[in-house]
Amino acid sequence: MPISFDLTQDQKELQTLAAKFAREEMAPRAAEADKKGHFPEEVYRKAWELGLMNLNVATEYGGAGLPLLEQCIITEELAAACGGMTTSILANCLALQPINLAGTPEQKERVLRPFCGKYGLASFGLTEPSGGTDAAALKTRAEKKGDHYVLNGQKCFITNAPQASLYTIFATLDPAKRDKGITAFIVPRDSPGLSIGKEEDKMGQRASSTATVLLEDVEVSKENLLGKEGEGFRIAMQTLDSTRTPIGALAVGIARAALEQAAKYSLQRTSFGKPIAQHQAVAAKIANMTIELEASRLLTWRSAWLVDQGHRASLESSIAKCFSSDSAMRICDEAIQIFGGYGYMRDYPVEKYLRDAKLCQIYEGANEIQRQVIAREFLKRFG
Amino acid sequence: MDVIVCVKHVPDAETRLRASSSGKWIDTDGVKFTVNNTYDEAAAEEALRLKEKCGARSVRVITVGPARAEEALRYVLSMGADEATHIEVPADALLDPLTVARLLAGVIKTLPHDIVMVGKQAADDEAGVVGSALGALLGLPSYAFVTQLDPDAASKTLKMHRYVEGGEEHFHGPFPAVVSLLKGAADPRTPTLPNILKARKKPLTKVPLADAEAKARALSPTAAAGSVRSFLLPPPKTGAKMIEFQTPEEAAEKLVRLLREEAKVL
Ligand SMILES: Cc1cc2nc3c(=O)[nH]c(=O)nc-3n(C[C@H](O)[C@H](O)[C@H](O)COP(=O)(O)OP(=O)(O)OC[C@H]3O[C@@H](n4cnc5c(N)ncnc54)[C@H](O)[C@@H]3O)c2cc1C
Repeated sequence: MPISFDLTQDQKELQTLAAKFAREEMAPRAAEADKKGHFPEEVYRKAWELGLMNLNVATEYGGAGLPLLEQCIITEELAAACGGMTTSILANCLALQPINLAGTPEQKERVLRPFCGKYGLASFGLTEPSGGTDAAALKTRAEKKGDHYVLNGQKCFITNAPQASLYTIFATLDPAKRDKGITAFIVPRDSPGLSIGKEEDKMGQRASSTATVLLEDVEVSKENLLGKEGEGFRIAMQTLDSTRTPIGALAVGIARAALEQAAKYSLQRTSFGKPIAQHQAVAAKIANMTIELEASRLLTWRSAWLVDQGHRASLESSIAKCFSSDSAMRICDEAIQIFGGYGYMRDYPVEKYLRDAKLCQIYEGANEIQRQVIAREFLKRFG
Repeated sequence: MDVIVCVKHVPDAETRLRASSSGKWIDTDGVKFTVNNTYDEAAAEEALRLKEKCGARSVRVITVGPARAEEALRYVLSMGADEATHIEVPADALLDPLTVARLLAGVIKTLPHDIVMVGKQAADDEAGVVGSALGALLGLPSYAFVTQLDPDAASKTLKMHRYVEGGEEHFHGPFPAVVSLLKGAADPRTPTLPNILKARKKPLTKVPLADAEAKARALSPTAAAGSVRSFLLPPPKTGAKMIEFQTPEEAAEKLVRLLREEAKVL
């Protein structure tokens, strides 16, 4: 397909739908949810009713079956209204992607279809208290006992964990085997032995929920083994390969909102007899923010496009996630600066953007590890 | 039963408008157009509810407008309409409401229709003419400013409500008919994502302007039409007065004095 930056009619309509939902349902609740750390379940329910959840699940199993580019277009619109709510919406895609990738038709029929057929939340459980970046060193144990497995361990920082009805959990059959021992499981909420620890009190994205998942002698039937034993690490990495780009789009959405607020404010606020936007130092900030935002969006779209064309996009998705989240931090920081003292106040929206954007540098692979991937992939070309 | 709903693609309510250089309409350059045309959306919602309530055979959405107006049709298809008809006119065409009604009537006459729904007026020119003109041209009764309607298929009667000074009027009349909506029984639905994707596959027929004109002439040979002489934006508001003050008491005192002595409202 030739390159085109024109959105199709469908893409425009999806963008309009997401923007309308963001404006009418998310934005009015964002400040309150942030302040109270409240999980606005009614928003997620409405998102499901409109078909804005489970975007990556095939239509035959009740999802939206959207290409990654469309997912990114929608994500940007949602995140411009509230990064935290968007994370909780995206966490469903993250949790279901291992089933999309490795589930058998029977598993998809039995698990995905009923899950997508009604409102529900799901969680992806990879990270553990002892470490997230070095996922191959995870400690949660899986033991095979007859026709089932028994899981023991802890998963921490798990988005949607308190409300989820379904978890995809990564555990090891043999820690000595490192990545080769890791195995993926579908674990329903009502499995005896599964419990939820204390909810985290977070710096930002406070409309999403984050908690520890405790697994004590949780029995998982072999029907809920995803892929084969020892394939879990590959499934987790492939999952993150495809969900990384929308995190870039999420950062773009937050940064766009910060830039728009800053631009409007800079035209209204006056000092020395003119709008501050007319002071060169402020105008230069707006220019730099605009440059970074445009570049972030293009990197994100290109990465999504490559995936949609069936290419492997480890390099591009890492670049998109890393650059967009780093840029979002700079853009949100400058937005506060343009607002001056008001920017530092909780009554104005800009300080929230900075707190929300920060997470994008940490989760789904911290930016340090993204840079490692970028360097490794790029250096391959030279020998 | 076949339901037809007529909609218009109008400038977004939040767009800043400028008069065009011809001085006859707005400068459409850079203007965002939308389908969020309150009364038309209400008409579309009501049309879909008719289908759900009385099992109408089809809901067809129709518009007269330039190429961009297809967006309005697709929106109503995404809401749930079954098919669409686009009477396409040049981008710079300035159509008066009677001409629009003639084009619509000419085409509607050739399509199955039991109830033709329109918004009571468009959100841009607010002429409020198309509904009644359609009724006259099609030789059908037209019911205006309706707020609720219930068809009885057996007796081919519509039971309707509308607001009247100080109250509400409940009345009924026969159909086929043209109904102009003030508001519907429910808020217009937002198209869901799966329905947006399904809408792409629904039939959308383009009627060239010449065809529509021929059909309009067949229906009514004489074309009366108004024309716009000049188009003016409301003058910018003037006369705002800022009160300078040191203390709230002083501000209140000055405000009361102005209200009493200058505005003479106290
Ligand atoms: C709000 C929130 C929601 C989350 N949601 C989920 C979820 O739903 N599911 C889930 O599984 N996880 C989730 N996470 C976990 C997240 O993915 C991890 O926090 C992340 O992967 C980093 O792991 P860590 O916190 O253990 O940091 P560590 O791995 O301990 O890293 C600490 C620091 O060291 C750096 N570092 C580590 N190794 C290297 C290296 N080799 N080279 C250079 N630098 C290195 C890291 O980049 C980081 O800066 C969430 C986290 C947060 C904060």
